[in-house]
Amino acid sequence: MLVHRRTKRGKLAFTFVATAALVINALPAHAINTYKADGVTATTITLGITSPLTGAAAPGYNKVPGAMQAYFNYVNDNGGVNGRKIKLISKDDAYNPVLAKSVTNDLVLQSKVLAIVGSLGTAENEATTRFINDHNVPRLFINTGYSGFADAKKYPTTYAVLPSYVMEAKIMGQYLKDNFAGKSVAIIYQDDDFGADALKGFATAGTKFLVKIPYASGSQADPTVVGKWISGLAQAKPDVTIMFGVSSATAAALGGAYKAGFKTQWVLGSVGGDGTTIATVAGPTAVGLLYGAIGASFLPAPTDTSDPYIAQFQAINTKYNPGVSFDNNVLQGMNTAMLTVEALRAAGPNLTRASLLKAIAKSGSTFASAGFASLGYSATSHVGYNGYWFGTYGPTGAIKPIGGTYTLYTTDSGSGAVTQTASKRPAMPEKGLPNN
Amino acid sequence: MFIDTLLIGLSSGAIYSLMALALVLVWRSTRVINFAQSGQAVLSTYIGYEISLATHNYWISLPLAIAAGALIGSLVDLLFMRLLAKRGTTGPIAEIAPVIATLGLLGLIQSVIGLIWGNAFLQYSSPLSAKGFTFGTHTIPFSPQNLFIVIAAAVVLGIFGFVFRYTNLGLALRAASFQPEIAQLSGIRVNLVRNIGWAFAGAAGAVAGAVITPTSTLSPHSLDLLFVSGFIAAVIGGLDSLIGAVVGGLVLGVGFAFILQYISSALTFLVGFIILMFVLLVRPRGIFGQRVNRNA
Amino acid sequence: MLKRKLTPLTRALLFLIAGAVLLALSGYVDELRTYQGAQVAVYLVAIASIILLTGYSGQISLGHGAIMAIGGYGAALSYELWHFPLVIALFFGAFAGTVGGFILGVAAARLSGPYLAGTTLALAVGLPSVADQFKVLGGEQGLSFDIGDAPNWLRNFEGDGFTQYKWFFWIAIIVAFFTLWAITNLLHSSYGRNWRASRNNAVAASLAGINVARGKILAFTVSSALASLAGALFAMLLGIVTPTAFPLTLSFTIMTGAVLAGVGNLAGSIVGAVVLVAIPEVSGALATHLGSSEKLTSNLPGLVTSVLLIIVVLFMPQGLRIRNVRRGKTTQ
Repeated sequence: MLVHRRTKRGKLAFTFVATAALVINALPAHAINTYKADGVTATTITLGITSPLTGAAAPGYNKVPGAMQAYFNYVNDNGGVNGRKIKLISKDDAYNPVLAKSVTNDLVLQSKVLAIVGSLGTAENEATTRFINDHNVPRLFINTGYSGFADAKKYPTTYAVLPSYVMEAKIMGQYLKDNFAGKSVAIIYQDDDFGADALKGFATAGTKFLVKIPYASGSQADPTVVGKWISGLAQAKPDVTIMFGVSSATAAALGGAYKAGFKTQWVLGSVGGDGTTIATVAGPTAVGLLYGAIGASFLPAPTDTSDPYIAQFQAINTKYNPGVSFDNNVLQGMNTAMLTVEALRAAGPNLTRASLLKAIAKSGSTFASAGFASLGYSATSHVGYNGYWFGTYGPTGAIKPIGGTYTLYTTDSGSGAVTQTASKRPAMPEKGLPNN
Repeated sequence: MFIDTLLIGLSSGAIYSLMALALVLVWRSTRVINFAQSGQAVLSTYIGYEISLATHNYWISLPLAIAAGALIGSLVDLLFMRLLAKRGTTGPIAEIAPVIATLGLLGLIQSVIGLIWGNAFLQYSSPLSAKGFTFGTHTIPFSPQNLFIVIAAAVVLGIFGFVFRYTNLGLALRAASFQPEIAQLSGIRVNLVRNIGWAFAGAAGAVAGAVITPTSTLSPHSLDLLFVSGFIAAVIGGLDSLIGAVVGGLVLGVGFAFILQYISSALTFLVGFIILMFVLLVRPRGIFGQRVNRNA
Repeated sequence: MLKRKLTPLTRALLFLIAGAVLLALSGYVDELRTYQGAQVAVYLVAIASIILLTGYSGQISLGHGAIMAIGGYGAALSYELWHFPLVIALFFGAFAGTVGGFILGVAAARLSGPYLAGTTLALAVGLPSVADQFKVLGGEQGLSFDIGDAPNWLRNFEGDGFTQYKWFFWIAIIVAFFTLWAITNLLHSSYGRNWRASRNNAVAASLAGINVARGKILAFTVSSALASLAGALFAMLLGIVTPTAFPLTLSFTIMTGAVLAGVGNLAGSIVGAVVLVAIPEVSGALATHLGSSEKLTSNLPGLVTSVLLIIVVLFMPQGLRIRNVRRGKTTQ
């Protein structure tokens, strides 16, 4: 109307400014609030978790958030935590550090969670560390064994829970020395800090490898790549093969071994060692290969109903997580959820990010949980469990402790020795409801 | 080791040839690169998967998946490509409109699959063993399933070759793609013939999906890389040539297998890119591509 | 012809004003929006690269995600390993991408439509995984690219809430606007006209004295400069470079943005960029509204993008514009 014939350039500039103004005006213009504690109201506590719900690494791990929420619902039905009900927002990062960054942004800036719990993946947690540290967001009981995360100075708000990969490798190395002396050993490992951590532990234990096969995270989805792992192994003919990868990679390795007719004594890293997941992904034909494999765990075997924690968690799973089979992933999720509830309780009614972190530092080492090793939390330590027991997989993929009883080996992430330790596991609180 | 690698290359090359064939069929009949090909193929495979779950029989699910692929191909042509030809050929995006449109269709198909079946990795099992054939103590990385893949691809390629060469339908297909106006004048029903071409392409893609998926897993994106490889194979062989699709597929399959074994799995597609560039620099229309006078 | 011409100077002033307005307002907007604003800036530059290459020069590239990867890795490596200052690192990334783009452009000048598409597609898939091959590039875990916080004088001036994301926004907007101003001038110069002419009718153009092949190579090179600059900024925002940050879908995404913008129309690139950032947000909200089942949350963004794309290609070839006048002939 006014300007009857806009020029192209004029249009361009006008469009810029107009769109920008419109966009800015439409945005919520409230004061910046990046460092205050969020996620707590009089009646609710909001927590967040990032894990692979889809993608190549998802099998097995995608059951963890559901299991955690199931346990939280059980606690909510029984009074909650200081009168507050817990809600867990679960986001998918497809085991991709770039996606992990963006969903963590969403959780903290948009959903305004109190804390992130059980975030999965070494690379994923590393990618989000800068943001987490800047915003002082508690990152509790992370689902990775990378030893670096226990460094309280570098990761002031991050608490580990899994025994580190260094610890696991040292213990495995010791076990191999004791039981497979003189036999040749090969290893398949994820080619990043996850695998490098394990190699560090094996180096400390003095394990010598006949052949080492690194693989790029995600490449386990390509059968030709897996074929190459196996042909490399078949050429070297190791007596023992260690598999240090996620569940889908372990499944792929076993499946590939079946296809190529390759036989060895498999030793499976705990993170990727859930029998049910492997059996599902690798197919029924490869379960035969799982039979006789050696694995490690720090929690009781998921099929051991004589253990009070297992019995209780199975009952909770049946009621609050219907349709989901109880396996090591569900067990671990519920165990982490139990620790989370204890941390929230310990922080008291005046719940903030700061009080939550203080509570774990102060009393975290006394929290009850299903783990056999003790928790190493203190004012200076963010180390979680520090030990494993060994078992063998049965014909259906269920793991049972070697010798029938849980023999615990503990160590540290440094050069300390591996020792057999008596478990000082706290008694389970009544009905599995924390009472700290 | 050399023979092993060759066998692996043969098996994957057969699949690339099938995908390349589907692309060339569509290209020759409509001058469009069908980016939705992997989506159509994977949808047909999901249908085959459902049928195999219901009937517990892979051999029943296979022809039904192929039929589904043909039907889907025909529907895409009828509902989507006709619309595109009418609307999408003006304006600044005329050249890339078919690419964008079929990419959009691909995304649409994959999202719909995800909404119906979810994104989890599924197992489409076949009764053929995945364990390699054993000769004495040595097991080669070529299983009955791989053998079936090669046979299926050869059969499909043989059928298409025969139809194109020796039947009236084949002649009509070739005429309709090369000079649609003249073909119409000679009484060929161009629209129908083109639709049949799309159906054939859909069927070829479905065969590829249904035979390769039992060797790994099924998910909405499981055939994406296959499409890329098929496209590269078609380009190497020459987009106008069916023979080129076969040759390109085999060359690429064997090439990838050797790169994987002797160099690295990280560099397969990059070396593929280099091979492609090399071929195109020497013959910009692919090995068997014709020097056509068209300016497209 | 045109009644009023904007001189480059006036154009520059308008850009400066717009930029200043945005920067001032960023102080009143919450952090997530600020981060998204930075993402919009990155997409702006990436979309501009496609508009130049495809809308003006008529070449198609499905591999601009790989060019962005060169820019991203170039910037990350030079900053982290060789300790270049930030601006130099960003432009080093752009430089690396430009060189790659030039080489690709020379090879591509002989290729037509689908053959070029296939080649760039192969590059898009093949290039990022090179990071798995060479340890220095960090593999799947990636290289950290942490540019630190804003300089102290700026933080003291701006106040307490000047987070790293705000700093990103400032850098991204300034770089994006400066780049866009430069490209607008380029596109309205004789270079732009030559590209248009060559695209519409190569034979006539060369008869008129335009060196078509050289123009194509130049277009590819400049387009790659833009894409790799966008990639460097993108890496800065992410704080990390991994092969998975530059997947095949990234190439498709920026092409989608260019189509939504109206491939021949630079002004639309803002709309395209905003839509690209808005889609995941809007579909996420929609998915939550509809019950946040996992199937819905994972697939709704893809569905929305695809449907939008198809609608635009079929019914609005000029892109998403307020006045979508259907003209008999394309005058742009």
